[in-house]
Amino acid sequence: MKAKRIEISLVKYLMLFLNWVTVMAVTGFILATTNNIRESYTARDFIDGVEAIPWRPGAIFAACALLMAALSLSFVMRDVVHFKDGRLEAGSLFFDFAVSIGIVYLLNFNYNGILLWVFANVIFYTKKSSGQFLFMLLGVLSFVGTDYGLASVNYSLYDIQDYIACYDLGRQSYILGIYNVLTSLNMVLFIIFCAFVIQEQRGTIQQVNELYEELQRANEKLQKYAAMKEKMGQTKERNRLAREIHDTLGHTLTGISAGIDACIATIDIAPDKTKGQLEVISGVTREGIQEVRRSVSRLRPDALERLSLESAIRKLVEDNNALTDTKVFFDCQAQPLRFCEDEENAIYRVIQESLTNAMRHGKATRVDIRMWRKDGDVRLTIQDNGIGCAKIQPGFGTEHIRERIALLNGTVAFDGSHGFLVDATIPIRWGEEYD
Amino acid sequence: MNGRKWQAAACVALAAWLLLAVILGSRGGDTVLEFGMFAGSNWGVANADSCVIIDKAIEKFEKAHPGVRIHYYSGIPKEDYSEWLARKILNGETPDVFMALSKDFAKLASLGALANLDSWMGQDADFDEDAFFQTALASGRRNDRQYALPYETVPTLMFVNKTLLNQEGFGVPENDWDWEQLMRICKRITKDTDGDGRVDQFGVYNYGWVEAAYSNGGRLFDENGTQCYIHSEQAAQAVRYANELSDLNQGQKVTQEDFDGGRVAFMPLSFAEYRTYKTYPYKIKKYSAFQWDCITFPAGPQGDNISQVDSLLIGISSRSHKKRLAWEFLKTLTYDEEIQMEIFRHSQGASALRAVTGSKRMEEILRRDMEASDRVIDGTILSEVIENGMDMPRFARYSDALALAESEVLKIYEEEKNVDSSLKIAQRAINHFLVQ
Repeated sequence: MKAKRIEISLVKYLMLFLNWVTVMAVTGFILATTNNIRESYTARDFIDGVEAIPWRPGAIFAACALLMAALSLSFVMRDVVHFKDGRLEAGSLFFDFAVSIGIVYLLNFNYNGILLWVFANVIFYTKKSSGQFLFMLLGVLSFVGTDYGLASVNYSLYDIQDYIACYDLGRQSYILGIYNVLTSLNMVLFIIFCAFVIQEQRGTIQQVNELYEELQRANEKLQKYAAMKEKMGQTKERNRLAREIHDTLGHTLTGISAGIDACIATIDIAPDKTKGQLEVISGVTREGIQEVRRSVSRLRPDALERLSLESAIRKLVEDNNALTDTKVFFDCQAQPLRFCEDEENAIYRVIQESLTNAMRHGKATRVDIRMWRKDGDVRLTIQDNGIGCAKIQPGFGTEHIRERIALLNGTVAFDGSHGFLVDATIPIRWGEEYD
Repeated sequence: MNGRKWQAAACVALAAWLLLAVILGSRGGDTVLEFGMFAGSNWGVANADSCVIIDKAIEKFEKAHPGVRIHYYSGIPKEDYSEWLARKILNGETPDVFMALSKDFAKLASLGALANLDSWMGQDADFDEDAFFQTALASGRRNDRQYALPYETVPTLMFVNKTLLNQEGFGVPENDWDWEQLMRICKRITKDTDGDGRVDQFGVYNYGWVEAAYSNGGRLFDENGTQCYIHSEQAAQAVRYANELSDLNQGQKVTQEDFDGGRVAFMPLSFAEYRTYKTYPYKIKKYSAFQWDCITFPAGPQGDNISQVDSLLIGISSRSHKKRLAWEFLKTLTYDEEIQMEIFRHSQGASALRAVTGSKRMEEILRRDMEASDRVIDGTILSEVIENGMDMPRFARYSDALALAESEVLKIYEEEKNVDSSLKIAQRAINHFLVQ
């Protein structure tokens, strides 16, 4: 890559140098020939044979040198110092174009190779943008348009050939040879330059492809990590549950089983003592229930632990509206929502699950959640405007919902004909305490 | 150095470069107007004080435009002027205002060295192009654009040997005479006076088919020199007429000596020559053996009493930075009646301005130099001759093309060919030469 950069720079320097040589050679040649003609007193005859003559050959020589210096300065600013601002860079390219048109005009279209220099630069700096082909087209058009043969049809222009014709035949072919070599060498350099740029561009494309593949591999790895992490989380949770059960329920049940064994042994001999023992067991059992409740409460969703059910649902809705394009509306006619923990958990989870289904499977953009009291039951409907489904298939998360509602002795129905509807009826133990 | 400093440095460099360009471009902004002119007469006659009129014009112009100076190179002879001007043009030092010779005019216009004057003429409220004789003004026009204005104009007149005519019983013909009259006079005059069997007194010298064609309404070339018209009816008639005239001489060649010796009645003479030889000291050096005068050319059956008119043109450089001043100076030279009147005093041509050439004052100036017995050509006739005259073709190969045409016609006479078909062939050959 780096080597190619150097090659391109080298070609550019060569082109600039060659253009300096050619422009100065053409103007200098015309200046020198004009002086020759003047010295040999053949000006009148010379004028008879030409269509036009340059305006002040000396001034043209000086003006061309100035314009070439301006081009070189602009090149140094752009290529060696580098502009910080892209607009300055583009501006300098336009400046180059204007200056080179000026040079071509001063040379009366006898040499338009300087335009190739400008377009080499334009191609170099616009190779990342889509306008490159437009610029290339513009370049070709202006190059063709400034051809001497074409331009001299409409305007009377001075012709370097007329000046070459002032010399004897031997020298004529010599001068013409130099002129042709200079102009074609410039064109050859331009073609080499274009070839390098194209090659470099092809290299860039290959690099991009390689990087893309690398990214793809990294992504796959990341997905594997994520799956592993999830599995690890599950394992961790399972271990926690196992430890919890072992520590609380296991301990209590072991105690109860040992106590009951003792009771079986003593019930016939000492019924009173046994009764006392059973009371102790009853106490331990209650303690165990408390322990279990505490453990279960540790598994509750975060939001529910901190907030009331209604607030938790509203937070879920808000989070959802904030994070996704699906708009969720929650309409609750069942205040105050004070249920038992398991009931709250179930309602929360059913809503969460349904929202997930609506988004994941239904591609819904709107979900309406309604909850109201009916004959001591709570009715919960979740309706979305998604694609729905003709036949309810298991594994769409509906099984979980059904299980949760069933645990509370409730019923649930699904309808996938107009979006997707989850319609649940849950019998609530209003105010009932079971401890 | 960081990038910002570099950019600032670049801006400074660019500004300096622009400043330099502006200074270089505006150099020479002082008001010196260059004038390109040659010394001597444009009409091939001796002229001692050719610069007097120019000097007067410069003086008048500089008085009217304080701070402006006219500079000219004196002493460039007419033969060297073309080369001198071409060298100046090649070097980009074309004078702001310059004289354009007839042979150079077409090239100078096509090369773009001469500025198009149409817009100046149109915008200048003081300028009326009808003040010029149309023939003279048209001589500065090419491809419908005015590139130069006539400074001085010279018609061709017919020299008449009064003494010889009176001797043979003729008076000087009126100014509306025609071919027939000329033929009658020539038939009577052409004879052998010393009895040696050879004709030694002649009717015309140097009057040929070209002059006859012009006075017969004919034209030989178009203005760009790409087309020849010698096969036209007017030209063919002129060729036949000139042939008849020369047949009168019975093969004798008329020479300048015959004319100078008073043995020829008529000879075309330019107005400039007429004026030169009518004034001291030339009038005693030349044609002193007989009385003479100038009249118009005889009219052909299809034409008028007209002849060729030549004009000296002055134009403005298309690359002049001081075109307004140049235009003003050009006007002083060509359009100022006071300056133009000087032409009759110090030069040998006529003014291209109608008001000047047609004036009584002009006649008075001419009379001053002539003898009381001489008939001074009057302003009205002179004006007519110029106004109706045939502008001299102004293209580079005119003299070559004319020489070719003359040799072709000479062949017709010598080999006694059919005039009509030979002219057709000759015209084709000349056209071929012109487009080469």
